Amino acid sequence: MRTTRSIRCVLAAVICGTLFNSAARADGEVIAAFTKNQVDPHFEGVRAGVAQMAEKMRATVKYYTPTKPNNITEGMSQLEDVGVTKPNLMLFMPIDAKAQLPTIKRLIESGLPIINYNDRGGDAPYLSFVGQDDYKLGYDIAKTLFDHLGGKGNVVMLEGVKGSTTGDERKRGFDAAAKDYPNIKILASQPANFQRLLGMQTMENLIQQFSTIDGVIAAADASALGAIEALNAAGRKNVAVVSINGVPEAVEAVKTGNLLAIAEFDGFKIGCVATAVGLNAIRGQSAPKQVTIPGAIITKANYAPWLVPYKDRTCPSPDAYITK
Amino acid sequence: MTVPATLDIRPSSLSPDAAALLGRFVLIALIAGALTAVDPGFASVSNLLNMLRQASLLFLVASGLTLVIIGGGLDLSVGANLTLSACLAAAAIKTTGNPWYGVAVAIGAGTLIGYANGLMINRLQLPPFLATFGMLWVAQGIAYWFMAGQTIYGMPMSFRYFGTGFFLGVPLPIWITLVVCLACSILLHRTTFGREAYFMGANQTAALLSGVPVERRRLLLYVLSGLTAGIASLVYLARLNAAEPGIGEPLLLPAIAAVLVGGTSLFGGNGNIVGTVLGAILLTIIVNGLNLLNVAATWHPFVNGAVVLVAIIADLVISRRRSGSE
Repeated sequence: MRTTRSIRCVLAAVICGTLFNSAARADGEVIAAFTKNQVDPHFEGVRAGVAQMAEKMRATVKYYTPTKPNNITEGMSQLEDVGVTKPNLMLFMPIDAKAQLPTIKRLIESGLPIINYNDRGGDAPYLSFVGQDDYKLGYDIAKTLFDHLGGKGNVVMLEGVKGSTTGDERKRGFDAAAKDYPNIKILASQPANFQRLLGMQTMENLIQQFSTIDGVIAAADASALGAIEALNAAGRKNVAVVSINGVPEAVEAVKTGNLLAIAEFDGFKIGCVATAVGLNAIRGQSAPKQVTIPGAIITKANYAPWLVPYKDRTCPSPDAYITK
Repeated sequence: MTVPATLDIRPSSLSPDAAALLGRFVLIALIAGALTAVDPGFASVSNLLNMLRQASLLFLVASGLTLVIIGGGLDLSVGANLTLSACLAAAAIKTTGNPWYGVAVAIGAGTLIGYANGLMINRLQLPPFLATFGMLWVAQGIAYWFMAGQTIYGMPMSFRYFGTGFFLGVPLPIWITLVVCLACSILLHRTTFGREAYFMGANQTAALLSGVPVERRRLLLYVLSGLTAGIASLVYLARLNAAEPGIGEPLLLPAIAAVLVGGTSLFGGNGNIVGTVLGAILLTIIVNGLNLLNVAATWHPFVNGAVVLVAIIADLVISRRRSGSE
């Protein structure tokens, strides 16, 4: 009788323990994941990474993306919506960090845990920042080009959006690398706004002005691909072009030799790691203040992994990037 | 490029404003002269062809818009129309390997969107702004859904000739622009349809009472706007070798600016296609000049906006002086 009661007690304890334990792990959280647009394949990579990691960790995702690319007004409205719907976790990348910061601070004060990912979202008490170092990406890819040119030559820069953290930091990296190579002459630095058409038209204009261009540094793949079209149309076949991102089309251009190299800015990895760090944090683990994912230099020697479609990639373990 | 002659059969209030056109020529000449003084390379034949080729895409988007605005309407969906037409055409070409399927799909999709705009405005009595604004989102939304964040790239060289080829040493987009410009000019200044479009834009009620089939004419204007957006999508796709779901959006405001800087009144009943050509060239020259002078990125939007404002204000001043002296 006593033995039976003991067994029952043990069983009850085990069942309670199991239930309590699963409550602490709290599967099924709702994540609000923000991206800046539906146009850039980079953000498709971010969403794919978030989706895969969320499924793996048994959480559900609601995506927030402005219908008009990078539209701050829509972005603000969506932030306000999240304030009402109250998800368990938010993954946030700013469209305009300064404009969105007060709302972000209010959401954090209201108890919503927020991970800042992809682009820095200003000085707010985020759980963590998960992203890459745009300055370093800019520096590394510029250095790759300058080394390829043997430390001397005429180079033009195609900048990103003036005033955006991403664009400005990458440009700062380009400039810093240029300072280290005194025989590299920067002929011009003009905006291409991460766009293909503007990249092409700006390059067409610069081709008219400069008879000798040895290299082009673009702040994004799209601008670089536009520039390559302009260079090919003008018969300038021996110009080395580098860019930042690593979307499949650009990797294809590396494979064919149209693009010399790309500094990897991997949305898929950022999405995976941000989701894992965020879910672990709300499930009771400590979150690192910052997770910086290193960007590889994609060249003809190593491009193959980046040609794999996002849906066929596997999320890396976040532990690989977290400094203990 | 010749300024279309004024027809005696059209009321003088609807005649093309030769003085305003001349003013635009002078403004372009002044800017071009200044840029040539700073950088002689600006006036080189290759740079002039380069600028005209860049202006051609903007003009193609703005040409149909000019017709609609002259007729008293507005088409805010031209950018989204270009986007969707380009995406569908790219998919058709990649799927079939036959560029002519792409041409058919782009022209068909563009025209269909224009037809839908005209139908909504006629049948549902929606204001053009609202109808085409709604269509902007519908077309853009379909493009987002269809492309799923991806890019379709790698068009066959036979198709790319539309955007990158040359005929008699002149880039093909410039020839396409000339043909469209000529067709629009003939339509506006040499046909009953053109006269009725001006009439409708100036006073729709009077046009209706005078027996002008306003609804049918309006429908055709929107169809033509859709058609030119479809043609523009082909040139874009052929030039850039890729379709992505955000390509047309940055073109809407410059297209409207090209129409307005070209002297077409946003209120309808006034303007011409040659003005729009000059407007597109002016906007292209500014960007080209800023690139050639290596002006810092920070100043680009400011300079662009300032020149557009100066052109529009100068136009208003000239118009008021002329109407004051009449």
